[in-house]
Amino acid sequence: MDRRQFLAAGGAAAAAGLAGCRSMFQTRSARSPPLVEDRPDAVYYPTHVEGMKMVGATEAGDYGVALTYSFPHRFWLVDGEETTKVAVRGEDSLHMMSVVWDRETGTVVPNSSIKTTVSADGEVVAEKPLWSMLSQNMGVHAGDNIALDGDGTYEVDLEIGPVSARRTGAVADRFDELTTASFTLAFRQSTLEDISFERLPDKQGEKGAVEGMEMGDVPVARAPDPDSLPGTAVGTAESGGARVVAVRLSTPPAGVGREDESENESAGESESESAGESESESAGESESGYLAVSPRTPYNQYPLAFTTVSATVTREGDEVFAGRLDPTFDPDLGYHYGGVADLASGDDLTLSVDLPPQLARHEGYETAFLSFEDVSMTV
Amino acid sequence: MPPSRIPRREFVKTAVAIGGTAALSACLGREDPDLPRGDPSGYPRRQHAWNGALPTDDHGNDVPPRHHVVRLLDYRGEVPTDADRETVEAALRSLERAYPRSHETDGGRRVGLLSTVAYSPSYFERFDAPLDGVDLPAPEPLAPFEDPTPDDPDAAVHLASDYGSVVLAAEEALLGERETVNGVEVDADLSGVFAGADLAGDGRTRRTGFIGAGLPADHQDVEGVPDSEPVPEESPLYMGFESGFEGSQATEDRVTVDSGPFAGGTTQHLSQIRLNLQQWYEQDSREHRESVMFCPVHAEEGRIEGTGENLGAANRVADCADDVAADAAESGKVGHAQKVARAREDGRPRILRRDFDSTDDGRATVHFLSLQSDIGEFVATREAMNGTDVADSAAVGQRSNNGILQYISVERRGNYLVPPRDRRALPAPD
Repeated sequence: MDRRQFLAAGGAAAAAGLAGCRSMFQTRSARSPPLVEDRPDAVYYPTHVEGMKMVGATEAGDYGVALTYSFPHRFWLVDGEETTKVAVRGEDSLHMMSVVWDRETGTVVPNSSIKTTVSADGEVVAEKPLWSMLSQNMGVHAGDNIALDGDGTYEVDLEIGPVSARRTGAVADRFDELTTASFTLAFRQSTLEDISFERLPDKQGEKGAVEGMEMGDVPVARAPDPDSLPGTAVGTAESGGARVVAVRLSTPPAGVGREDESENESAGESESESAGESESESAGESESGYLAVSPRTPYNQYPLAFTTVSATVTREGDEVFAGRLDPTFDPDLGYHYGGVADLASGDDLTLSVDLPPQLARHEGYETAFLSFEDVSMTV
Repeated sequence: MPPSRIPRREFVKTAVAIGGTAALSACLGREDPDLPRGDPSGYPRRQHAWNGALPTDDHGNDVPPRHHVVRLLDYRGEVPTDADRETVEAALRSLERAYPRSHETDGGRRVGLLSTVAYSPSYFERFDAPLDGVDLPAPEPLAPFEDPTPDDPDAAVHLASDYGSVVLAAEEALLGERETVNGVEVDADLSGVFAGADLAGDGRTRRTGFIGAGLPADHQDVEGVPDSEPVPEESPLYMGFESGFEGSQATEDRVTVDSGPFAGGTTQHLSQIRLNLQQWYEQDSREHRESVMFCPVHAEEGRIEGTGENLGAANRVADCADDVAADAAESGKVGHAQKVARAREDGRPRILRRDFDSTDDGRATVHFLSLQSDIGEFVATREAMNGTDVADSAAVGQRSNNGILQYISVERRGNYLVPPRDRRALPAPD
């Protein structure tokens, strides 16, 4: 057992001889109840719900940016179809979380390129990229446990890189610049104990999810309701513990089809309207329609980003489309997987998840969205 | 610090990082190399022709010198004078007479002193004539997610040795702080010709470092490496893997400027990169590290043992270089070496790495020094490494799961021309 495990695991032996660490230590072990046994392979109620503390919200480039934290806690990384549990280290001070959203529409932006640099008196205390994460009550955010150098005032810079997903519609030309948001964090160990912590003894381990929390002006990432998606509904199905919604549009959203021209190129003259209202307009050269697939968490409807999704469309036995769908961020369709494809009534659509969402998970999500059955729908 | 409590190797590295006379005398007391003199009459015309002096390992890979210092300098005058040129050449010659490029010991060949002097685009701006035959652009950001500070000294002097004491003594001689080195009288020094460079953003003018088994593990008490001391003892670099495979390096011929007044020279890129290895060592799995350093199939098939020394003289990523897009979609990650291999021409890399790790500023750092015939060769290699073409596929982001980009931050970049040896002293541009 190394020092980190020793501090995290707890026990009388740890408390003895560590008087200085004692209150901190007790707080942590009390706030890290054992995992539920026999967790279902689905979204489930975690052992507890924790609150968060807001450091601040600001604007940077195209983004609204919020910085929050909670006490350090376990989470899981996803690598392929495997999860790796990240345990709390003895030196971890807090679980840092950031949410970035589009300043204009208030839509949370799925950005996997956020790096934090924490410094005190000009000296770097911690510098690391934040994992894209999914939490039942915090939604989609970027986070990790961070070791600070005790109580004090820290400068926190969040460096926000370009969004990797294709962007369409009103955001087609946005989120491709490097920008930095700066915060001042006045940290006291004792304030961690003011952050709410609620056990869920009656619900823990049952299928279900706690609701997303209200965070004041900070928006929560939610996939649009199936009814409010633009285009024509194809269907809704369940797979891998996720809800998968498919719609078809008569034309692709503005911005589709130009990605081959040049990376990070501006959209040029396109007067891009929102995808929902632009169906009658020509979007690029194509006369073709568009298939959009929107997988999301059950209950809270959080979009499931960083997934590989393929589609096959057959018409009277003949394959008319087969291929990967491109991860795409659109203010009306939300984060989705889309491809230029003509779908007609009566077509058979098969959706496959070739790679589950490579999103780190807070407790309650780590056993879901790892293994997907193919989904079939009739258009 | 009480030297007796610090292992010898660690002490020498610490001394190089600190520098100065006190460090040198302490260092000498520990290393005490018995070095012959050098004979510069037969030295190659290419300043960068170091490989012929390097030891090789059992697989035929060149083994780089263990200790490095780069000094970034500004010329004190306006247009260089012949007198200053003579001073610079005399100072460099003194070092070459004092130390051999390498020598044979009971433990095999060891590097005495290797050096280069390089000049930046801003150095050449002082002349009316443009730089002839070499494209030497000012440094620029080379990825959509980086914003490095450009280094704009006039000159960069790179000193390297297997002995920390030699690097320190040579540095002191160049600065005019020593009258003899290795028993040889110093004829001239650079202190009247050059001053420490005035760099944007308070950049360090003295960049120190090391490469080789044991040195990173001995120096992992830095910001950027977690306290759990995860760097393997046998690793030559902080990230835990070998990198200098013969098959991953351009030849010296490949990186040499082949025509014009600087034929026989090369270009040098020097970036300052910070490492953030807490997630790398404490959160990522070993398999993930293998996947993103080399390529996913290396991890799946268990091809890498330890630091990867078992790979021999090549990292064997040529076969997976074509799989970058498929790996991005299906395994959600792509390898660093796998991406970079796409920049190869005729199966060979286009840049020659002479990079080293560092504890500068108390942070885990890489001074990524590479040589290439043209800065464009470096840019092309870095573009392949960016993997921007797969950064829109599912799980591979601009940095996340995209090789090792998540763990490195490029803070500074600089471009230089390394002239041939006969033009190394304050060259004119044509």
